[in-house]
Amino acid sequence: MADSPEEIKKAVRKILWIGGILAVCTVLTVWLSTVELATHGQNIIVGMILATIKAGLVALIFMHLNHEAKLIYKFLAFTLVFVTALFLLFYWSSLDPLVFKDFYAH
Amino acid sequence: MDIPYTVTARPDTGLYNAKVGIWLFLASEVMLFGGLFSSYIFLRVGADYPWPVHELGVTLGFVNTLVLIGSSVTVLLAWASLKLRKIAQFRLYMIITVLCAMTFMVIKSFEYRAKFAHYSVTLTDGTILTGHLPHGYELEFGDVKALNLTVAGKTSAVDADPVSYVLPYVKGDVPKFMTESGEEITLDAASFAKIKAEARAKAEAKAKADGLKEVPQWTVKLLPASPITFSVAPSKLLAKPAPGAKAISFRDGTMVEGMMLNDKMTLEVDGVDLRGTPDKEKSLAWNEHYLGTAWKKAFIEQRDHAAAHFKETYGDSRDPNKSATQQKHLFYLHIKSATPEAAHGEGGHKAEAHAPAEHGDAHASHHPEVHLERKDVHFFSNFTPKLNSFYAIYFTLTGLHGLHVVAGALVLAYFVIFNGRMLREDPERLANRVEVGGLFWHFVDLVWIFLFPLLYLL
Repeated sequence: MADSPEEIKKAVRKILWIGGILAVCTVLTVWLSTVELATHGQNIIVGMILATIKAGLVALIFMHLNHEAKLIYKFLAFTLVFVTALFLLFYWSSLDPLVFKDFYAH
Repeated sequence: MDIPYTVTARPDTGLYNAKVGIWLFLASEVMLFGGLFSSYIFLRVGADYPWPVHELGVTLGFVNTLVLIGSSVTVLLAWASLKLRKIAQFRLYMIITVLCAMTFMVIKSFEYRAKFAHYSVTLTDGTILTGHLPHGYELEFGDVKALNLTVAGKTSAVDADPVSYVLPYVKGDVPKFMTESGEEITLDAASFAKIKAEARAKAEAKAKADGLKEVPQWTVKLLPASPITFSVAPSKLLAKPAPGAKAISFRDGTMVEGMMLNDKMTLEVDGVDLRGTPDKEKSLAWNEHYLGTAWKKAFIEQRDHAAAHFKETYGDSRDPNKSATQQKHLFYLHIKSATPEAAHGEGGHKAEAHAPAEHGDAHASHHPEVHLERKDVHFFSNFTPKLNSFYAIYFTLTGLHGLHVVAGALVLAYFVIFNGRMLREDPERLANRVEVGGLFWHFVDLVWIFLFPLLYLL
């Protein structure tokens, strides 16, 4: 992140703005959850999009991922691959359910 | 020897050591929470009961979210202050950050405590009653005819120990017992040790006489010398007794013969969930000796009102059966008064009854009390992981997140309290430590940003 006093003071203003935006987005998330969309699935998608935007702001600005070293991006690329595989594992297992034929046949 | 690159960046990576370390750690944390979030998804998708939606208190969750966002801001302001060498400001912002963490945990403790005191009772027809147990739930077992103590022949997980497992549940005075030899005793550690030793000796003698290698268990029978009544929670028994049982077994294996005097559960009802009840108007909840027909009428009025409101708002464009929220409006009756009143009124969306308690007594219950028969109760639990998979994953996710909040707060507190020497000799290194601690703190905030909508709102 910034090193010179001027850059740090500028960064402070940015931090306060982003904090305010996050608070407003939280209010928006709560309000949107009371608005019933066509299906509950759509409510979940909208909620998760808002959460991703907020998380993105925290990650990019607060955790300064918007100008980090390449090595960190490499770490996170691996993390993304592994997390995706983690979620896909559960999905794949649901496509191959255990079936006991004649289990209850007497 | 000085460790290099604690302050200045390595020329090849462009990072100082702690930053590499914290990002690797955060990558592992992403895997940890990722696993739990994917578990949440599949528990929800695979649930064979209505997944709890809008069941958690949004206000407290919302306040906690703002508290964590605020603390993320203050930890960054602390880092900036330290970089500008404004030490007093640095300390102030760090203390605010730690206080925010404590506030978060205090609010979480209120949420958890409320859940531990709140109960859900599933009746045999699928109806769920929620509420509080003002007197706890204990079975009353009396008219005791005998105590059968099973002394194990060798080391065993279950071995007679009536002093710890049976006597604490006797109502009234310390009971007296008669041994098989006719001796009257007060069962305590000393007298039981004597009984146990005699039983072991007899078991060993029998094993020797029968040519057995292993010493078998030995049952000692004690008869009551005075009337004895037990008052015991079902969780303190080895197995839940059937309604009208003539014997109960305590967790040490002691079997007590007698009669079930009272196994009714007194519940102060604050909600009736009929989503899992096939015939909602014939639910057990509406029996005269439970909530009665007045509350049934209130339920029908709420259901019809919610159905009409949905039709008026959405017409035929939406299917109420596909709306989890609508299903809850139709079939979940919130009870906020001791007696129902007619849900009519000007401009009223009075789906729930709000009649004050009858006698206007400040201490009177605002909920009806029902005395549930054991035979009608299929399952009951407080709102803990035992209740259903939603609460299991809720407590796992928020509990683990809470532990991360505590750990992060401890680290940040350490940086602000024990920083004297580093502040004097190498403040830039301390700033790097605060930055790295702040990165962990932002991650904790990030997890909550997903947790709050997922668990509380959606």
